[in-house]
Amino acid sequence: MESKIRITPFEDGLVIKIFGELDSSKTMLYKERIHKEMRSNGPRFLLFDLKDCSFLDSAGIGMILGRFNEVEKLKGGCGFINLSPYVKKVIRISGLFSVMKEYDSLMDFRKDMGVKL
Amino acid sequence: MNKMELKFSATLENEALARIAISSFIAPLNPSLEDISEIKTMVSEAVSNAIIHGYGFDMSRDVILRCELEKRTLTIIVIDYGKGIENLEEAKRPHYSSRPDLERAGMGLTIMETLADDFEIRSVYGMGSKVIIKKNIALKGEYVS
Ligand SMILES: Nc1ncnc2c1ncn2[C@@H]1O[C@H](COP(=O)(O)OP(=O)(O)O)[C@@H](O)[C@H]1O
Ligand SMILES: [Mg+2]
Repeated sequence: MESKIRITPFEDGLVIKIFGELDSSKTMLYKERIHKEMRSNGPRFLLFDLKDCSFLDSAGIGMILGRFNEVEKLKGGCGFINLSPYVKKVIRISGLFSVMKEYDSLMDFRKDMGVKL
Repeated sequence: MNKMELKFSATLENEALARIAISSFIAPLNPSLEDISEIKTMVSEAVSNAIIHGYGFDMSRDVILRCELEKRTLTIIVIDYGKGIENLEEAKRPHYSSRPDLERAGMGLTIMETLADDFEIRSVYGMGSKVIIKKNIALKGEYVS
């Protein structure tokens, strides 16, 4: 599968879908892509969809944590959907679940974050 | 014992090569998807550390990936002759990174240590670093999350 990122805005946030491998050679590029989107829409809520993420390591964790730190300053938050057992394990080891949770759906995430409709 | 060795330039582009090489090397064991994924993650952590921290992205330098397979026990060795680690205690601490400017999470060593059945890092400051990982490859259906 080709590695890429797809960003879809919703009310006050973005759904960020990662395809393929999220490694050190991708994180800087993806950070810029997300920043570009953040500048134009000013979202406060980021939902990372890792359904089609076939590879994750601490570089990806650093990229996600970096975005969390940014939206947290705006009183926003982040979440995950569609985690495979492997991806979940890497996230759990890295301690990221202490600041972001996994959700069943975008609706679930919006409800938990209290996104205004 | 089956073995292989791969030497490649210290550039992040070659991280994917290292992952593919080790996946192919263990393929005859018919490993589970989870084991393959975890092994790829450990290799990437070690290789990216060699490239980023060991060599500071100096592409003229070489990273060595050595793999050995004894029955279902895989030994992964990643070597760089770069900067080395001054304070191993500090480096191993979860969330510690000497390059937070690159958004490094400082979790690479912790992830390797947790996913491996046995993990060792040796380093001589100014000389280089060597990571040794052992992983028992489960028969399919044995995976415990
Ligand atoms: N091969 C290496 N050569 C030099 N320093 C290293 C090497 N591997 C790890 N380190 C040091 O250990 C620290 C922690 O490594 P790690 O847990 O992988 O975190 P990160 O890569 O996110 O910084 C690094 O920031 C670096 O200072
Ligand atoms: Mg690292």
